[in-house]
Amino acid sequence: MIKRVEVQYRGVFQKTLGKYIGGDIVQIASRMGKVAFSNGRYSDAPERNGIPCKYFAFVSPDLSEAELEAECGSSYNADNVDVSVVVDDAMAQGVEPWGWHGIRPVNEKVGHKACLLVVTRRNHEHLLRFTAKKPQPYRLATLEGDASMAGLWVFKDDLTRERCLGAVAAVDPGIISIEAVEEYLLDTGKDADRARAARDAYEATLRRIKVVNPDQGIDWPHEIPVLPKWHEFEEGGVAIPAVKRGFKLGPRGQNRNDGFKHGTSKTERPVVRFDLCIKCTLCWADCPDECFDPTDDGLYDINYEVCTGCHKCADVCPVKECIVMVPELQFEDEKSPWEQHKKDPAGYIQWAEDKKGSTRIRYRHVTGEGVEKYKATPVPRNMDGPGQKEAL
Amino acid sequence: MATTLPMIDYEKIKKVHDAPLEEFYTSGHRTCQGCESALVMRDFAKASGPRTIATGATGCMYVANTSYQTTPWVIPWMHTQLGAGGASAVGMAAGIRALMRKGKIAKEKINIINFSGDLGGADMGLSGISAALQTDYDLLIILYDNESAANTDIQATGLSTYGAVTTFTPSGKKRRIMQRRWKKNVAPMLAIGHPTCRYVATASATFPALDFMNKTRKALNVGGPTFIHTFDPCPKGWDFHPGYSRELGELGIKCGIFPLYEILDGKVTYTYDPHKKGRIPVRDYLVKQGRFAHLIDEDFDYIQGMVDTMWEEWELPGIAPIKSGLEMASR
Amino acid sequence: MTTAAQPTDVWEHELLLTGCQAVSHAVKLADVDVIAAYPIRPYTEVMDQLSQLIADGELDAEYIIADSEHSQFEIVKHASSVGARAFGGSSGTGWMYGMEALAVTATDRLPPLFLVGNRALDDPGAFGVEHNDAMSVRDLGWLICWASTAQEALEHVFIGYRVAEDKRVRMPMALAMDGGFLTHAQHMVKVPTLEAVKQFLPPYDLGDRVLHPDNPISVAPQVNEDWVMELRRQNWEAARRARGVIKEAYKEFNGVFGSHGSQYDNPYFTEYMTEDADAVLIGIGAVCMPTQTAARRLREKGHKVGYVNLRWFRPFPTEELRACLGRFKGVGVIDRDFSQGSPDNGGILLQDVRSCLYPLRGDGPNVINFMGGLGGRDISIDECIDMYERTLAAGRGNVPEEIVSWIGLRE
Repeated sequence: MIKRVEVQYRGVFQKTLGKYIGGDIVQIASRMGKVAFSNGRYSDAPERNGIPCKYFAFVSPDLSEAELEAECGSSYNADNVDVSVVVDDAMAQGVEPWGWHGIRPVNEKVGHKACLLVVTRRNHEHLLRFTAKKPQPYRLATLEGDASMAGLWVFKDDLTRERCLGAVAAVDPGIISIEAVEEYLLDTGKDADRARAARDAYEATLRRIKVVNPDQGIDWPHEIPVLPKWHEFEEGGVAIPAVKRGFKLGPRGQNRNDGFKHGTSKTERPVVRFDLCIKCTLCWADCPDECFDPTDDGLYDINYEVCTGCHKCADVCPVKECIVMVPELQFEDEKSPWEQHKKDPAGYIQWAEDKKGSTRIRYRHVTGEGVEKYKATPVPRNMDGPGQKEAL
Repeated sequence: MATTLPMIDYEKIKKVHDAPLEEFYTSGHRTCQGCESALVMRDFAKASGPRTIATGATGCMYVANTSYQTTPWVIPWMHTQLGAGGASAVGMAAGIRALMRKGKIAKEKINIINFSGDLGGADMGLSGISAALQTDYDLLIILYDNESAANTDIQATGLSTYGAVTTFTPSGKKRRIMQRRWKKNVAPMLAIGHPTCRYVATASATFPALDFMNKTRKALNVGGPTFIHTFDPCPKGWDFHPGYSRELGELGIKCGIFPLYEILDGKVTYTYDPHKKGRIPVRDYLVKQGRFAHLIDEDFDYIQGMVDTMWEEWELPGIAPIKSGLEMASR
Repeated sequence: MTTAAQPTDVWEHELLLTGCQAVSHAVKLADVDVIAAYPIRPYTEVMDQLSQLIADGELDAEYIIADSEHSQFEIVKHASSVGARAFGGSSGTGWMYGMEALAVTATDRLPPLFLVGNRALDDPGAFGVEHNDAMSVRDLGWLICWASTAQEALEHVFIGYRVAEDKRVRMPMALAMDGGFLTHAQHMVKVPTLEAVKQFLPPYDLGDRVLHPDNPISVAPQVNEDWVMELRRQNWEAARRARGVIKEAYKEFNGVFGSHGSQYDNPYFTEYMTEDADAVLIGIGAVCMPTQTAARRLREKGHKVGYVNLRWFRPFPTEELRACLGRFKGVGVIDRDFSQGSPDNGGILLQDVRSCLYPLRGDGPNVINFMGGLGGRDISIDECIDMYERTLAAGRGNVPEEIVSWIGLRE
């Protein structure tokens, strides 16, 4: 028997977290006398900030290491995972790691009766508004918490790692047991709080596992390309047509790359109060993803399909409250905000303010301050809904 | 055997509202959130327009931008090898010139632009770029400098800032600083070494606004082989939140560690003069990046001292590390 | 230089030319657009000559003196990508210096032509011929062809461009020539008229793969494991198709030039006195001169020996060569190259010949290998006679335990 675990994480920001969780599962399973190994999805490298990536751990109680390697070690990918840990809930909207693979459901690889485990402050129903229907029942578990983001050189030691291990033990004790998790954390961390965090997460998760039936979820709106056979595409080297030239004012007026959107890289999206805009052009000029569409009234619409949520527009905008970053899971579509604003200016302002809420996402200027000192801060509860986090 | 061709007469973009709206490098590239180098791509393509062919040397802006069957490029683009930025531009410019002269394709001005990163533009590819700048072809080489081999996950290059942590230069228990090389001074090296190259500049994609686009246009207008070195804060490798990439560029320029200037026919113009405007402390720039989190006071002092020397002791402040003029040998 | 031949419709004149000079005349007649040069002995003379042709206004081409072979080959590659017919070349370690560029020229499926003036690989420095330089691209998707006379070298510039640029092929072409013996020796060479060349060699047309603002494409994007297999398979098909395109090209060539003196019965290799032979030697390049003379002398004494002069090394003429060599009892493979540690610890050609004969199993000839002429060491007629005798013996069943022997070695 083989147990497959995948960790779906944000490139670079959660690289260390993903690798740690995968490595921890291997070490814990080994202590339990099982055979295990772990690897990252090779094709994700070089990782880019925010792009969905995967880390895998494979565990078997009965196979030899050679057999486990042969089954799981010769592919860059893994199908039919037993647990898929999603450490940023915004990925529930879909993941698009590379070009011409389409935006794919976050639960795509979750097998029959297997578990999608999401670190989130949303409830199951909220997440199911984004995830695709699957033909077989599977389980959805939530682990209360925020997306733990750090930098390339740093690991944000906020107990997400320990809590994920506890939650994995809860959703599939056939991979690792909570006792083994606790023992491992006590032995390696010399810190009872870490083990306690894992145990708390274990118990909380046990209460938050729900079966998802084939009628739950959405019909997947994104096309999944089928890669052509060798004789079905342009022969004679490696040339492809460029983006066809085309521009006009207004939403989606610029021709763009159809084969890769990049929008699933975002955890937050900018919400614009067009009525406050002074038309300075900075958001448009400084956007590294060309997602602003100039309009005939001198404003700049946003194409959320291609926005990566980098915060830059919000940072360069000289008008307070004009562009504000809002968690992605508060939105269910990528409609043109400018068109909404034109249709109903007052209604749009109201909608925007509702989305923005009262708190603001602020980042410390630097993520890389070395390993942050661990404090056993209790995880706040019952924060489902539109309230905003004070990230970092 | 130069061929006289009609020129595209680029106007200087005077106001931000006059910048061309159309994109020739557009959405759908697998670059990092907040990538400044992607803006360099976007802006050179926007400034040069549709009659342009670009080559990209191996690096972030190759691997992140195109995947098979998907591309963000509107203009024709081709990959070139890491050390072949200069050669790729020369090859294309030569091909086009010959074909036009021999009547095999229509005569018109076609911009030939190569972009190369740290390794392609300042290390491995330097020889080829030098040779390109000795030719009389119309071509522009853009060195997009994110101070590391960012595509291979941040290794030190000849352009990394002193003291920076990279995967090749970690900070350790015994050695706090492994990156002990001072940043290579590429643009002046090329300007001084190639007397017939008429235009060399440094730039940042976002600060001051329009500066890089106008330098691109100037380079294309001046003609012959030209070179621009851009300063691209890299959120991934420098370790700061992507929202701040413009701000980091601005701070780097204002503290004087990356001087902004252009050299046209030997005449130097500072396009941002931190000397006059007053340099901010280098520390203000460094502390906002995770790659310098391990530095202590003496390191900051050392870097500040080096930057002070650049601006206060060099004959051409911030540009050429030569401290005195002609000194007659005693007879 | 003298003009001896009467001008015909296809031949302009006959000139005293070295191999390199013969190639330079062909490059001129092929209306090459871009030439990139970097000096290394012995191929350099072709660039010396081309620069003179340009200086004298006889050739209209861009001529670029590169800063290294890597740049030189990249210039050629990128000139080819914008639709210019491009020419480069190198020798020995210079060729190896640009290896990265050579690899991508093939995978980009661009068809420039390079002259490889074969030279031993340093260290220690040696100017003389060895074939390892050109053979180093044998697995990379290149067309590799050896000329064994200056006349052949000239003619294979036209044949080479025609095959390489064919839409069904689009592979780069390495035209190889033995350093010193061919690159530098002067022979009387017939130079064709421009009209005849034009009749045979159509203009270079890269079609919808050409880089131009009117044809916006992205070339060579990142592919990873999703596409590499399919792309390699496409290249594999091209190499397979090249075999047929080569045959077509020679047929056409014979049609234009054949009745006037240049005729190729077999595109891939030339057989000399092989009819009813018991044993043959097979080799590449200028070694055909002493081997053919030796065969003639042995035939005079009643020994049934012949020589197979292999011209095309990639694509390898597997079926044709199997049919040819399968007729004999003994085959001696002369390798002017080395491949230490290879299956028989012999030469590169040996491996390919044995592999090509493998389907014949016990019905095939006994094969032995001669390592000779390395670094430009001469291979004498007497040594060739010796090789024939040993191959005859092998054909009679006296196959030595060590099938590789060294010729012309001080021992």
